[in-house]
Amino acid sequence: MKNIFSWDRLWKVIPQLNPYIGVSFRIVLSGLVFGTLLGLAVAVLRIKKILIINQILSVYISFMRGTSMLVQLMIIYYGLPLLLKGTIGVDINSWDKLMFVKATFILNEGAFLGELFRAAIESVPAEQREAGYSINLTGPQVFFRIVLPQAVKTAIPAYGVDVIGMFHNTSIAFTLGVIDLVGRAKTIGIGTGHLIEAYVYVAFIYIIVSIILKLLFYLLDRKFTFGTEGTVH
Amino acid sequence: MEFEYGNFKVSFKYGMEYLHVTAKITFIALFFGVVIGLVVAVVRHYKIPVISQILTVFVTLYQGLPVMVALLIYNLLFSFYIADIIRILHLNVQVRDVDNIVVAYFTLSLAAITSISETFRGAFVSVEKTQYEAGHAVGLSKLQTLRRIIIPQMIPVAIPGLINNMVGTIKGTSLVMTIGVMEVMNASLIPCSRTYSFLEGYVAAALIYWTFTLVLETIARVFEKRTKCYRENITN
Repeated sequence: MKNIFSWDRLWKVIPQLNPYIGVSFRIVLSGLVFGTLLGLAVAVLRIKKILIINQILSVYISFMRGTSMLVQLMIIYYGLPLLLKGTIGVDINSWDKLMFVKATFILNEGAFLGELFRAAIESVPAEQREAGYSINLTGPQVFFRIVLPQAVKTAIPAYGVDVIGMFHNTSIAFTLGVIDLVGRAKTIGIGTGHLIEAYVYVAFIYIIVSIILKLLFYLLDRKFTFGTEGTVH
Repeated sequence: MEFEYGNFKVSFKYGMEYLHVTAKITFIALFFGVVIGLVVAVVRHYKIPVISQILTVFVTLYQGLPVMVALLIYNLLFSFYIADIIRILHLNVQVRDVDNIVVAYFTLSLAAITSISETFRGAFVSVEKTQYEAGHAVGLSKLQTLRRIIIPQMIPVAIPGLINNMVGTIKGTSLVMTIGVMEVMNASLIPCSRTYSFLEGYVAAALIYWTFTLVLETIARVFEKRTKCYRENITN
């Protein structure tokens, strides 16, 4: 049996892979920012229970939760250009593949975060809202000053899990041919005939970053435990 | 290029023919996940020395590894070592006959074990300490307390988490296509390479997964309601 793993090759592969960590982070970042905005919109619309829109949104959420991201990615990659060309006549076939990955992440996160935010907002007791109205706050004021801060507090642990899951999901971007960590590892493998070292380093990066993210959200969660003094859990 | 209903139907038929493969991967992974995951959770809950620490480190690290990357690594190792494994175990099979679906079983089982063990561990904490003491007080052994008092009360708490784990496992099975296992996703794409109807193929696969997930989830929800009778003071 030949030597399939060598430390020499591992050290050589590290500088080749490092620049591509940023690609995964960029995907996560756009998914996080736009996904959170979309999620908030979805949550608010779902709570308001507007006829038809509510039904459409529940189908959308069910689809995003019930199918894997790989399928969603492929459907958006093949379907979105078709849809946009058919409806508004814009040709996006020449778009960078990374854009499709980002679009998938945003749509997917919109559904997951929408449900998460909805649960968090609904977990704020109705008395809090009534208290706000009783001191003559307007609707938006009640939402932004009373409901949202308390909802954020409940949402943080689940949000952290979601962000880590999103980071893990970036590992499927290579199936479209995007050169991210896994994609670059594959091209190195083709070039040198040795894949395992690159994969091991990719796994190492994913594990380290996940643990750092977990720690960050743990600290964030601790910081947000306000207003619980004197209450019994 | 537009959506061709005819191609979609063909893809759907191909995909349905391989639904049993996806179902098999899902159930094998969930089976090992629940059985071994429960053992892992028990060991970590009772803080059995050495084993518990090793498992804690392993589960923490392994949860940071995406299923996709794990799948690629195991598949590579599998292709490297399969000849040796067959020789060592004196199996009467040829290398070319071995299907790499065993890699799929292994990867998804391991992923299911780590995530399900965390679900169970959380559920263990939800059972009050007084219940253990009550079991001890009436002279039950530790194992008897666990089996007759603790686990029945912990199951209704664990089920919502288990449903999430199950959905995650079903989603994970579609990643298996990248290592070339013939399952719903790959099968739906068989007619596509001839007609270039990839959108139709993927939509067909998505519909199959969606239905499969919804059906299993509905069954699990019914089960969840029935197990609630073991725990009336459940607060959520």
